[in-house]
Amino acid sequence: MNGAANGSADPDLLWYRDAVIYQLHVKTFADSNSDGIGDFKGLTGKLDYLRDLGVDCLWLMPMYPSPFRDDGYDIADYYSIHPSYGTLDDFREFLDAAHARRLRVVTELVLNHTSDQHAWFKQARSARDDPRRDWYVWSDTDDRYSGVRIIFLDTERSNWAWDPQSKAYYWHRFFHHQPDLNYDNPAVREEMWKVMSFWLELGVDGFRVDAVPYLIEREGTSCENLPETHAVIRWLRSQLDAHFPGRMLLAEANQPPELVRPYFGEGDEFHMAFHFPLMTRMFMAVRLEDRKPLVDVVERTPEIPATCQWGIFLRNHDELTLEMVTEIEREFMYEEYARDPVSRLNLGIRRRLAPLLEGDRRRIELMNGIVMSMPGSPIIYYGDEIGMGDNIYLGDRNGVRTPMQWTGGWNAGFSTADPERLAQPLISNPLFGYQAVNVESQLRADHTLLNWMRRLVSVRKSSHVFSRGSTTFLKPANHRVLAYLRTLGKEQVLVVCNLSSSAQAVELDLRSLAGALPIEMFGKSMFPRIGELPYILTLGPYDFFWFRLRRV
Amino acid sequence: MEEALAEGSLLSDELLRHLMAVGQVDVLVGVPTLNNASTIGGVVNAVHQAFGKYFPRDRTVLINSDGGSVDGTQDVIRGRSQDQTETVTVSHALRTTHSISTPYHGVPGKGSALRQIMTAADLAQAKAVAVLDADVASATPEWVASLVQPVRNQQFDYVAPIYSRHPLDSPLITQLVRPLFRAASGWQVREPLAAEFGCSNRFLAHCLEQNVWDNELARYGIDLWLTATALYGGFRCCQTMVGPRVAAAAPGRPGFREVFQQVVGSVFLLLEQQASSWVTRVGSEQIPIAGPAADGKGDGQAPGVSRLGSTFRDDLRNLESVLRAILGEGTLRELNAIAEAGVEEIRYPDALWVRTVYEFMGAFHRGVMRREHVTQALIPLYLGRTGSFLVEQSSRNPAEVEGALEALCVEFERAKPSLVQYWNQAT
Repeated sequence: MNGAANGSADPDLLWYRDAVIYQLHVKTFADSNSDGIGDFKGLTGKLDYLRDLGVDCLWLMPMYPSPFRDDGYDIADYYSIHPSYGTLDDFREFLDAAHARRLRVVTELVLNHTSDQHAWFKQARSARDDPRRDWYVWSDTDDRYSGVRIIFLDTERSNWAWDPQSKAYYWHRFFHHQPDLNYDNPAVREEMWKVMSFWLELGVDGFRVDAVPYLIEREGTSCENLPETHAVIRWLRSQLDAHFPGRMLLAEANQPPELVRPYFGEGDEFHMAFHFPLMTRMFMAVRLEDRKPLVDVVERTPEIPATCQWGIFLRNHDELTLEMVTEIEREFMYEEYARDPVSRLNLGIRRRLAPLLEGDRRRIELMNGIVMSMPGSPIIYYGDEIGMGDNIYLGDRNGVRTPMQWTGGWNAGFSTADPERLAQPLISNPLFGYQAVNVESQLRADHTLLNWMRRLVSVRKSSHVFSRGSTTFLKPANHRVLAYLRTLGKEQVLVVCNLSSSAQAVELDLRSLAGALPIEMFGKSMFPRIGELPYILTLGPYDFFWFRLRRV
Repeated sequence: MEEALAEGSLLSDELLRHLMAVGQVDVLVGVPTLNNASTIGGVVNAVHQAFGKYFPRDRTVLINSDGGSVDGTQDVIRGRSQDQTETVTVSHALRTTHSISTPYHGVPGKGSALRQIMTAADLAQAKAVAVLDADVASATPEWVASLVQPVRNQQFDYVAPIYSRHPLDSPLITQLVRPLFRAASGWQVREPLAAEFGCSNRFLAHCLEQNVWDNELARYGIDLWLTATALYGGFRCCQTMVGPRVAAAAPGRPGFREVFQQVVGSVFLLLEQQASSWVTRVGSEQIPIAGPAADGKGDGQAPGVSRLGSTFRDDLRNLESVLRAILGEGTLRELNAIAEAGVEEIRYPDALWVRTVYEFMGAFHRGVMRREHVTQALIPLYLGRTGSFLVEQSSRNPAEVEGALEALCVEFERAKPSLVQYWNQAT
């Protein structure tokens, strides 16, 4: 798997290839008007924090008007801001302030479906001959597209829902209150381009496109990843390139890497796509104390066009998905990471990074050290930089979307509202609660997780080898050690990670690098020059090294 | 390249480095080899497939302990191990699978190989160990699973295999070793000499502390010793079905007479060394079967029957002076009567055969002559007995033959007091 090499396009147009992205939920980031709900004015007030963290780009979860039955992914109006988050002017101010701090902003674009409260659907269901009728997928029976898998297994029994008003079934791959749009209808495509244009003209730097594989349905297929879906994407991309060059589209396609590859096209579909299987296998490798699952998935990840990039991450707003793993792997992950069945949702685990790793600082650092040195653009989920916890007893995936913990004081500094008014309850247990885990206290001491993350991001950004370099795995006999070489031109970085809870010794065959002097990148210490003999390293539990290899 | 070997160490530096890299394991499969290039590939494949299919979540390693093969055995193992990553079954394993091929040092023989394997397993803290023979052409992944799962899942310490075979097959086992061991030890082990077995870390740690590894038993009788140690040592033992055992014929393997002496000599020697454990035992107990219950009856073809009457007669005459020193007068008289009966098909009854074996064992113990001469002298009597049994049973179905074998075992048990008497006379 190679990182994207230098493209022929203007480098600034390819900014996303080197970006470190920060995903946040406006609703739970910072509340400025004491209503218990985060908003854009509050977010604007935290931009310095985000700049100082070192990230390059913010990815905002949905900010549109919505009945919030799916935390905003059920959109009722694509052209406005949810009143709880502020106004369009607030958004513009936020955007300008972010840009002034050299922070790009990517917003959410839910192409596949709307809320059933969206005006389009209300019209569509009002009559069978309404002009908007064909904007959605209707059927008189529920046996079309039979055999197509249900994604929200815990709550939905069918991909069809009965609409008593229009006396027909409508298709929904997600919740039943999220009817799928009909992309076979050119009017739908045109309208979604209008939506995109609206936000792009305001200045957003791109979109994270939700639920991409499901745009088109065809009888006798899985209704996923169809050629017609790619045709829609190519058309949208062509519009984007023609009118807004340098803006980025990031695909959410939870598929094995070989099935995600088509979403890059020949550089004419998405600029970026998430690498879901890599995420799962990082967790597996650390728990197994064996590099095999991680090496396997990277080695079978196909090459992508030079102008494209993988989005790599540890956690996000959804459950840690186990959809695209084998039965054995899923069983293993459940047993190791989700003993409490309450933490399981659909085919995944709804926990944050720190609780998944039992609050183990060393493992948290190791996992971040791996994701920041793997090929791709890393994405930090808000709160994981300070080790926030979760609440698996909140419904759906709300347990990983609790308010940002800024201070140990009133409402964790998130809001001055009464605690009962908060959009989500705070995490308040002794281990991960806001009194113990918050930004303010972690800024006061050097060796906190937050400051460590800032250094990590800074070191990563000190070289493009991480984002654009090739990756070659060394496979020492000790399977508990993950070692790989990142190379970009003459620049080389050797990454060595101990996946085990016990100290390890490893002999690396570095003869091809003989003569190079490893410089450890965090402390700048020199290590012995590489020679012809096996290079012996010892690593403490969950320790890792990034070595810049210098020729002197 | 000669391997550095610390003085007094069982494990070379090279092997230790490999073991350090492997770390702790859950399942270790050991395969001793000596010039098994023609069959070892199939065994290695079976092991790797077992790892992928039955132990995908476990930390696994295959260790080959080689006695100095000159036919490329180790190259075959290393080559097969590198190829394994391509197979679908192996790729389902969550973890890296390891293979180590290393020569052993010490007294030539299976005992040294096993000792190295067990030592490596002990260092690796292997939870379950299985040992497979390298010349088994019929080994399957299910063999490994059958030997390991009772240890991993049911906390047995020792797992002995039951091979599917026609009851007239392997007469050395069915006519002598099995009934003798059963009567002496008090345990109904179907395959006391099985080359394959499974065991726990607890058992192998116990074995490593015993004083057997440098004595004669380690060369030819280690399999029987392991079985006996497990049973006498109070370890939780079971048997498990593994299917038919088809061993490939290999050049340079010892012939029948040499094998007979090795086997019988080992059995007698082992029983001699462990006499205090069995002399007072009466009757016999069954050993539980783990996994699908079956009776080990195979559908294989019965071996051919040979008419041995004249040969038997000649052998008795030629060995008369030797037999006089070994056998009692009554036994010798009965044998001569059989030989002189003038028929081509001799009839060698169970009771006489049992008495024969027991008197030979007593003679072995008393040291009436060199021990290898004692075991050598038993060969023609064994052949006569085998021929007699085959002739008698050849027209019967397998169930009836099993019944006859069981009756033989019961006869051995019934006559045990006479063995004890012979034994005590010598002691």
